Amino acid sequence: MSKVDVFSSLKESINELLPDIDLADINYEESLKDLGANSVDRMDIIIETMEKINVRIPLVEFGNAKCIKNIVDIMCRYSGE
Amino acid sequence: MQKKKTNGNNVYVTGMGVLTSSARNIEEFSSDLIHGKSGIGILKGKIVNGRDAVGAELDVEMVRNNLRIHIENAALPEDTIQKIKKCSHRASKSIKASLSCVAEAYMQAELFRQPVPKERIGLIVAGSNLTYKIREEYLSSYLNGFEYLSPYYALRFLDTDHVGVISEIYDIGGEGFTIGGASASGNLAIIKAHQLLQLGIVDVCVISGAVAELTSMELQGFYNIGALGGRKYADFPELASRPFDRGHEGFILGEASGCIILESEASVVSRNVIPLVKLLGGKNSLDGNRSSNPSLDGEINMMRALLKEHSLKPDDISYINAHGSSSPLGDETELRAIKNIFKSNFSSLWINSTKSLTGHCLYSAGIVEAIATIIQMNKGFVHPAKNLESPILEGFLFSSKTSALVDMKYTLSNSFGFGGINSSVLFKNL
Repeated sequence: MSKVDVFSSLKESINELLPDIDLADINYEESLKDLGANSVDRMDIIIETMEKINVRIPLVEFGNAKCIKNIVDIMCRYSGE
Repeated sequence: MQKKKTNGNNVYVTGMGVLTSSARNIEEFSSDLIHGKSGIGILKGKIVNGRDAVGAELDVEMVRNNLRIHIENAALPEDTIQKIKKCSHRASKSIKASLSCVAEAYMQAELFRQPVPKERIGLIVAGSNLTYKIREEYLSSYLNGFEYLSPYYALRFLDTDHVGVISEIYDIGGEGFTIGGASASGNLAIIKAHQLLQLGIVDVCVISGAVAELTSMELQGFYNIGALGGRKYADFPELASRPFDRGHEGFILGEASGCIILESEASVVSRNVIPLVKLLGGKNSLDGNRSSNPSLDGEINMMRALLKEHSLKPDDISYINAHGSSSPLGDETELRAIKNIFKSNFSSLWINSTKSLTGHCLYSAGIVEAIATIIQMNKGFVHPAKNLESPILEGFLFSSKTSALVDMKYTLSNSFGFGGINSSVLFKNL
């Protein structure tokens, strides 16, 4: 799965949980925290995205993810790209 | 205001909010009561015995719009509005309905305009097992892979999510909890709130009756134990809830939420708000019976003890909002208990069951019916007993097909729950 597809699924999950965030404003360098997601929101968004793109990744893998780019990279690695 | 401090602090009702399948607020509910309008139809997507279940369904869009309208009317600060948006966005229908009712009750009690310090406000959510629908929604993700279960499930499957969301939004910081008593949950919440106020633990207590959002499985369980009605009248849902009528065959589920604000006399005076009625108190007793059948002695002893505690004679009571769930054994037991206590006046004691209009709201039944009682007391009428065509027992003063004008001083509202739980609350008109 391409980074663009993963990013798009991630944005979709963000939108479901935090509908007030303008998706056009989200960029790779920001963290989910910067967008106003609390710790439970962040795990929810990641899990929702994993289910959408059909990968299973231990949550501890995301412990060091600093920004959206890191999250997308981890997901792409597990999805085989 | 009279200051007769015989039993701790006097307690008043200062605000109410309600949401039923046919009424979006207290004004519409009053109109439904006056006209005997039923909200019972089909519970979409809920199947019992392979067909659509009969019941009063709260439309989720209506609940969402109603919450928005109440919030706009309340003219809340922008940060509160944002908090409500965030907390309620993915909240269950039940929590959204509670938020709507609390907003309406806060408006009437003027708690937005004249707030009370947060640590002096308590919150009791009436009902337990509030999250079966949520469990059903998360189940497919979980079965798809344990990694896919959202961490929100841990917050949302607990009944305390109702307490958390309501208290965060309305800034409530005193004592708070959920209280479970099956169909008596609403009355138990009123009784506990009354005690908190009498003990001076809080000055204001918000009581929120939660919508019973069941799945087909719980309804089938109620059917299989013989408690659920709706067979004979499956094609005529409005006729299915028939308290005290020979055609009754079990309860009909009603989805509804209600909120009552209780307040101490000192707070009523200092905030200069107008109380609706006085809550004298309530009584809760157990039969010591795990089964679903009611107990005649249990109901008699509970109501008698309540009157005695308040030095009232049976003749003083002018109206009972009966539990009357449309269950054959339950209806008959309650009438026999009433006749036993009110020997001298049972033929002049008005009785109706709001469940003939709303269905049985389970957890919120006690709250919705207390609200119905207070509306009738304030406006001086008894609402029609819908579907009561051929009473199971003669000699009682049931309300008829139309509302009757009645002056009421003291009233009771009964609720009985599985687990052998008997309860009644006692109001005095002002």
